[in-house]
Amino acid sequence: MPESGYPWPIETTRLDNGLRVVVSEDRTAPAVAVNLWYDVGSRHEPQGQTGFAHLFEHLMFEGSLNVAKTEHMKLIQGSGGSLNATTNPDRTNYFETVPAEHLELALWLEADRMGGLVPALTQETLDNQREVVKNERRQRYENVPYGDAWLRLLPLLYPPGHPYHHATIGSMTDLNAADLATFQEFHRTYYAPNNAVLTVVGDATAAEVFKLAEKYFGVIPPRADIPAAPDGRTVPATGRPASETVTTNVPAPRVYVAHRTHAFGSTGYDVLTVLATVLGSGRGSRLYQRLADGERIAQPDLVGAYGVDLAHAPAPLIATATARPGVDGERLAAGLHAVVDELTTVPVTATELDRAKSLLSTAWWRQMSTVDGRADTLGRYATQLGDPAKAGDRLPGWLAVTAEQIAETAAEVLAADDRVTLTYLAEEKP
Amino acid sequence: MTLIATRPGPGAARPYRFPPVVRRAVAGGQVVAAHLPGQNLAVALLLLDAGAEREPLGKEGLGGVLAKALEEGTAQRDAAAYALAVEGLGTELVTGLDWDSFQVSVQVPVDRLAAAVELLAEAVRTPRLDPVDVARVRDDEATGLRMDWANPGPRADAALRADLFGGQNRWGRPMYGDPESVAGLDVEDVRVFHSEWFIRPGTLIVAGDLDRLDLEALGAAAFAGTGGGPVERGGPVEAPLRSGRRIILVDRPGSVQSTLRLGHPAPHRAHPDHVAMTLAGTVLGGAFTSRLNHLIREVRGYTYGIRGDFASSRRFGRFGVSSGVQTAVTAPALVEAVGEISRTRSGGVTEEELAVARSWRAGQLSVELQTPRAIASALTTLVVHDLPDDYHARLREALLAADVDAVSAAAATHLHPDSLTLVVEGDAAVIRDDLAAADLGEIVS
Repeated sequence: MPESGYPWPIETTRLDNGLRVVVSEDRTAPAVAVNLWYDVGSRHEPQGQTGFAHLFEHLMFEGSLNVAKTEHMKLIQGSGGSLNATTNPDRTNYFETVPAEHLELALWLEADRMGGLVPALTQETLDNQREVVKNERRQRYENVPYGDAWLRLLPLLYPPGHPYHHATIGSMTDLNAADLATFQEFHRTYYAPNNAVLTVVGDATAAEVFKLAEKYFGVIPPRADIPAAPDGRTVPATGRPASETVTTNVPAPRVYVAHRTHAFGSTGYDVLTVLATVLGSGRGSRLYQRLADGERIAQPDLVGAYGVDLAHAPAPLIATATARPGVDGERLAAGLHAVVDELTTVPVTATELDRAKSLLSTAWWRQMSTVDGRADTLGRYATQLGDPAKAGDRLPGWLAVTAEQIAETAAEVLAADDRVTLTYLAEEKP
Repeated sequence: MTLIATRPGPGAARPYRFPPVVRRAVAGGQVVAAHLPGQNLAVALLLLDAGAEREPLGKEGLGGVLAKALEEGTAQRDAAAYALAVEGLGTELVTGLDWDSFQVSVQVPVDRLAAAVELLAEAVRTPRLDPVDVARVRDDEATGLRMDWANPGPRADAALRADLFGGQNRWGRPMYGDPESVAGLDVEDVRVFHSEWFIRPGTLIVAGDLDRLDLEALGAAAFAGTGGGPVERGGPVEAPLRSGRRIILVDRPGSVQSTLRLGHPAPHRAHPDHVAMTLAGTVLGGAFTSRLNHLIREVRGYTYGIRGDFASSRRFGRFGVSSGVQTAVTAPALVEAVGEISRTRSGGVTEEELAVARSWRAGQLSVELQTPRAIASALTTLVVHDLPDDYHARLREALLAADVDAVSAAAATHLHPDSLTLVVEGDAAVIRDDLAAADLGEIVS
């Protein structure tokens, strides 16, 4: 068993304005990854402003005090780099990987939009990106079969007022109502150095990065009173199953079963991660063996289970299957429920456990095989668990999970009377 | 607060280096490997001359069905035992199929690669292919394709391909087949395809820490029990350009977006203009900052994204643009896209745009070629297209040396806006009149 899942150096500092800086040097390739985690996500959005954190992420690419509109992308790509950003319920991250000689450019760009976005933000930019995001919503959620499953599962899992009740993409109504002043205020409130972690991994030394971070980010003032998101850590068990059936234009019945489990970063979530792999990852998983291969009621390529790595409330476990021709939604749901229930009653064997741990080990090293994968991981652990070095604990944590723990966790969080079931049925064709 | 206003220049450039390539003839096959010292993971990929082009006409999808059937048990163990053995090593068999090749690979911690390659070879060379299992896999694949074809995109792609290359040619039909062609396959077709193409040795690609790997042993495991030599491949295909633009409407009632697929035939991979065309495609549609995305997304807000590029295989190629746009702006989005393609053809590219495109493409060779899987894929390119070991270093030089004249000439020579086929998959009842009024070309269906 490896002692650590992170066998590279990690050095950290904190600037006077509160910005945490994490550096992990690795000279293997002439590339460097820069990654900023801002501790703001859709969980911070009040009612009527759903989708704002994500729409804001788009605005961050549209120019800042010293960077013209669209110049950010041009400069990074023009230096040979890759870049993107993502928003989820927990946080927003921005990242680029560039040939190492362009490190300073990447830091300058990130500092300029952290400290100087508001003066560059215009109504025209907001209106344009609002349309882009609405098209993103159409493309990813509305125009594809089953595309809105995540939007439907969240309110079934989390009650109104819970920070995970609504989806990050937001509602069309709220997006239409978004006004410029709200976004200016959003930046002033959350895009402060003391609400962010800057991680740099690759062909650069810690001393060099610390110096550049001070040079570019050091002048940005901290914000004293960053409001916290609503506390969602305790979600009372409802004691009754929630279910929803959607009859719509889909090619076959599909069922999602979901449970609230533990928060990412806890021992309980490590157990849940191994449990999800036993349950639904690969052809040797229980779902595949029982439903796709055994009973043959599910399409082989469309069974699976996974945890959604969220850190500020009990994170969801989602298991799903899609019916083979001739199998109805009810039978499929019963089959899926039975396999989930068996996690409590049928002990996980040593073979199942070894298989899951081997798959997770490979997945972990795959994430570690790029400088960008490592930078994102360190940023996550610094932001959510307070210490980037805790990244090294994850793989050993998974490998230490026992069959007994899986049975206990299953009994604790997978109870049938606190279960969410979402079923899609194909509408009759006229 | 005063942010630093001056944009910093680059530091000293680091030298570019593709990992050292090792080629070995082993046990009747070829091993091509890249040395990644200190890398924890290793990838082995068996490359077979069994791409979609080897499928007989009317049997589209054979390779896909066979790929799945390989894991339904081998001469040594049944399907469940095989899955446990492979996944117990921490990997899964990853199969891939394109026009030129069939690939099957494993990715594991380096000390497990030998065991993983033995299992890979066991499935590829000695699958059971029990008729009952093969028939079930075929039906599952047909259903899987039906599910996939319920999404926007596959029907439009198929319509474009047929219009560009002709449904009487294998390359005018979908690479993975369609739900009907797969449903119509016989079990015997699958067994014959296996015996014809999967027993030849092929090439084993290895990317990993070669100090901890025995290439001879890996090759011996991959090529055990194989025979038969390489088979002649056809020369480049000449696909004619159309004499006028045309629109093909694929109905998707109730769709909130229109899926756009635009294209025309273009040169094959070995064409001498390959680098210049790649850069012209990058300026026009290959990157976020490209002309098409800037205009249609960043200025107009019609879409979440639009991309265009030249793509090519050994025998043929095409220029293509793809996007999803809000239904109400389908016609204006098409007009703008065609206009931008025309402007790029007639006006060429600017030095400013080209500077971004060439540095981006060159830099991506450092940034994107980090993982064993990415390196294995780069080695695959060397083998499939008969390229030298220093190809990536030379490619980098060629990209950086390409000038405005050469790239503009490639745009003028290889973009044909008046020969485009415009496939629109959307709500026909809502968009048909607008398309007719836009005067973009005849609506042929």
